[in-house]
Amino acid sequence: KESQAVQTSIADVETIEWKLVTSWPKNFPGLGMAPERFAKLVDEMSAGRLKINVYGAGELMPAFEVFDAVSQGTVQMGHSAAYYWKGKTPAAQFFTSIPFGLNAQEMNGWLHYGGGLELWEEVYEPFGIKPLAGGNTGVQMGGWFNKEINSMEDLKGLKMRLPGLGGEVLKRVGGVPVTLPGRELYTALQTGAIDATEWVGPFNDLAFGLHKAAKFYYYPGWHEPGSTLEFLINKEAFATLPADLQSIVTVAARAINQDMLDEYTSKHIIALESLINEHGVIIKPYPDEVMSELGRVSKVVIKEQSVKDATMEKVYKAYMEYEAGVRKYHKISEDAYSRIRE
Amino acid sequence: MNRIEKLTELIGKGASWFTLLIVLLTLTVVVLRYAFNIGATAVQESALYLHGAIFTLAAGYTLKHDGHVRVDIFYRHFSNRGRHLVDLLGTLFLLFPVCIFIAYSCFDYVLASWRYSESSVEAGGLPFVYLQKSLLLLLVVSLLLQGSVELVRHTLALLTKEVIEDKDAVGDKL
Amino acid sequence: MAILLFLAVCLVLMLGYPVALTLAGVALMFAAIGTLTGTFDSSLLGVLPNRLYGVINNPILMAVPLFVFMGVVLEKSKIAEQLLTSMAELFGRFRGGLIFSVFFVGMLLAASTGIVGATVVTMGLMSLPTLLKRGFDPAFSAGAICATGTLGQIIPPSIALVLLGDVLSNAYQQAQLQMGIFSPKSVSVGDLFAGALVPGLLLLTMYCLYTLILIKRKPEQFPAVVDHRRLDWEFALQTLGALVPPLLLIFLVLGSILFGIATPTEAASVGAFGALVIALIKRQMNVKQLKEVMISTTKITSMVFLILIGASIFSLVFRGLGGEVLIHELFNNMPGGLIGATLLVMVVIFLLGFILDFIEITFVVVPLVAPILLTMGLDPIWLGIMIAVNLQTSFLTPPFGFALFYLRGVSKELITSGQIYKGVIPFVVIQLLLMLILSIWPELITWLPSQIYG
Ligand code: NA
Ligand code: NA
Repeated sequence: KESQAVQTSIADVETIEWKLVTSWPKNFPGLGMAPERFAKLVDEMSAGRLKINVYGAGELMPAFEVFDAVSQGTVQMGHSAAYYWKGKTPAAQFFTSIPFGLNAQEMNGWLHYGGGLELWEEVYEPFGIKPLAGGNTGVQMGGWFNKEINSMEDLKGLKMRLPGLGGEVLKRVGGVPVTLPGRELYTALQTGAIDATEWVGPFNDLAFGLHKAAKFYYYPGWHEPGSTLEFLINKEAFATLPADLQSIVTVAARAINQDMLDEYTSKHIIALESLINEHGVIIKPYPDEVMSELGRVSKVVIKEQSVKDATMEKVYKAYMEYEAGVRKYHKISEDAYSRIRE
Repeated sequence: MNRIEKLTELIGKGASWFTLLIVLLTLTVVVLRYAFNIGATAVQESALYLHGAIFTLAAGYTLKHDGHVRVDIFYRHFSNRGRHLVDLLGTLFLLFPVCIFIAYSCFDYVLASWRYSESSVEAGGLPFVYLQKSLLLLLVVSLLLQGSVELVRHTLALLTKEVIEDKDAVGDKL
Repeated sequence: MAILLFLAVCLVLMLGYPVALTLAGVALMFAAIGTLTGTFDSSLLGVLPNRLYGVINNPILMAVPLFVFMGVVLEKSKIAEQLLTSMAELFGRFRGGLIFSVFFVGMLLAASTGIVGATVVTMGLMSLPTLLKRGFDPAFSAGAICATGTLGQIIPPSIALVLLGDVLSNAYQQAQLQMGIFSPKSVSVGDLFAGALVPGLLLLTMYCLYTLILIKRKPEQFPAVVDHRRLDWEFALQTLGALVPPLLLIFLVLGSILFGIATPTEAASVGAFGALVIALIKRQMNVKQLKEVMISTTKITSMVFLILIGASIFSLVFRGLGGEVLIHELFNNMPGGLIGATLLVMVVIFLLGFILDFIEITFVVVPLVAPILLTMGLDPIWLGIMIAVNLQTSFLTPPFGFALFYLRGVSKELITSGQIYKGVIPFVVIQLLLMLILSIWPELITWLPSQIYG
């Protein structure tokens, strides 16, 4: 009798239609594919009961309006990155990436088994938003430079587009973080209005064509060592879903979270090869001296900013505690293995 | 009515100073970055705020001076009564509904920004995003103020059959 | 429903109420009707605040008030006027020389800023009386002045290109990603500036050639000035003095972009400030004039951005009523593939140019058609410049050509509307001819950007 009831309900239940807005242009490689795949997955898993229409940046609204739109319930879902909302709640930065912070694997551990996600929910609570991890780019690249970086001295006066905490760190060591609209970035790098910019990693950077505007490609991306993306869900809308659809949304998001990292891992390899072999890009590591000094300054900056906001301080403490633990263990596991592979 | 018109004038003329300010502020950003290696995100954002303030605050002033472009193929050939009628109907059925709708739809949005005193996402940016967002409501205020003057003016003109002087054909248009 | 909306907007526009409020108001009425009849998803309107905030928070569009400011300074400080006087005295001695002085000055003004209204008004006030007094054909003179005044649209820097660049870069990104081709190309305002230079100068050359042909055929209509000034040192200095300010401004704006001092948006502030300093040095700027400049800039800026806001509301409702899907289908079913579709778009824009002006077309029509053409593989810079040249005609096509209004406004006693209409026709034809040439040799557009930006 029960199975009969389920069958009729599938036939009778009307489809729920949701809107999902993203901060990426429609079908943007990597980042923009995640919400598309998520929508498809939910559609299949729910046998068409939950239809999610995905809108790219600028289609319904500009890229950085996603959070407000989900919060106000204008749309039911969003796909974006938490550090874009630091102007609304500074603690959000910890849920994407912070300089010299956790990498992708560690972020996933912290969020799902280290209490991170609960903190994230707490931070978004006042906005009526439920967050879920929505992908990861892996360790990003340091950025595109037209000047060589051989010592801390070379960072003095360096004009670089480097948003967020990374920019703050650059400023402390005498650099010039420049704020530029994404569309003027390429021309600005080409004409020399700026000396350097960060973007994502080989897969996205190749598509953007930054190799045509800069000579040196520095690594690693100390400022974003493993950026987590996010699904934003309007809490009221989520509450109206039947329990099975709620599960489907949560599970699909978890699958996409891993899927994006898998895709980046593979596509970065091919893109990096193309950049080196076809486009003659010079790959350079940041000098050790520069990395250790930036690491030191980063810790200071993050601590300073965290104590200014009670919520941020709470997240900061939890994050740092997890970071200390996982660093200790990874030193003898992941990192040790990386070293012996050389 | 006179008071409202005076207010519109005052706001328009006040906002016009922002045009000079954004020239100076943007130039400052260029000079600081190029000559002194200083990034000035706060100055950049000030200029952007003021830029938004120009056309939101002065929308009513521009309406008062008939600066909003019209398709005047026929309008210019209408009698004065005809023009007053078009402007009266336009004010009633286009301007007012648009303003009311923008106000209705933006109110919560602006309020939310105030509630969490939204600040810039950029390092070294301004902590006044809620003021910038409030410009959306000020646009409505600016248009409604002058719109109500227009409503009365055109109604009176139609009722009294008063002939009001021709408007200058060459406005400040691109 | 979407088609009805478009027709209704066109119809209501004809009544003459301000365009921005008409676009928004009619669209909202349709949204209301659609909501009641269940053909419109009213929740779509909820995104309005996000869209409107996007309009006031777009740093690239800040170039608009900055360039307008620069143009108005040039007008009010009489820098343009002095230039015109000097050039007329210099060229006037040759047959038809006065017309060439108009072309030359028009080019310089266009390259320093290019506010169509300011250029046409200045030249209408200064040159037209002289031209007519010397016996030039009234219709031709009027046409030449209007056409030259619109050069500012295409010769960089240009507000039209700034606005088009904004719209096209969105469209291009959409198109590339839709094709699944992540072509490492992006289109910027700088690209459009570079792409417009050769076509702009070519257009001016064509105006000159046309004039030369006319001089050959009807020399009596192109007299030389007999009582011209002697070429002495005093005159040479005066001419130089008039030439320096605009040349300096051109150098300031383009130089600051190319040497990496400023982004295109920021370069506008360099130009505006430069114009202000020059005006001050020439003692052509006092507090009263400065206030006039600020007021003019404010009104023009308000006008442009209210249209942007209106267009944003219109396009949202148009989308909600299924308009975009409709247009996609129309173009996909268009015979002749890419060429057919491009031709159709160009014809539509040309025809719309009779009733709408370039801002409305840029914000309402281009976002609808550009992604489709770009998806078909069209070069975005080429498309941008073709649209820019096409939109230039909208200034000249009666009955709703701004350039015609301006000229008529400042020369009511000298010339009739009929003469102006007749006079601009050959110049509109020349612009169409330019579009044909640019279609046959697209390198005229794409060569320079590829040289500059690799
Ligand atoms: Na990045
Ligand atoms: Na120009």
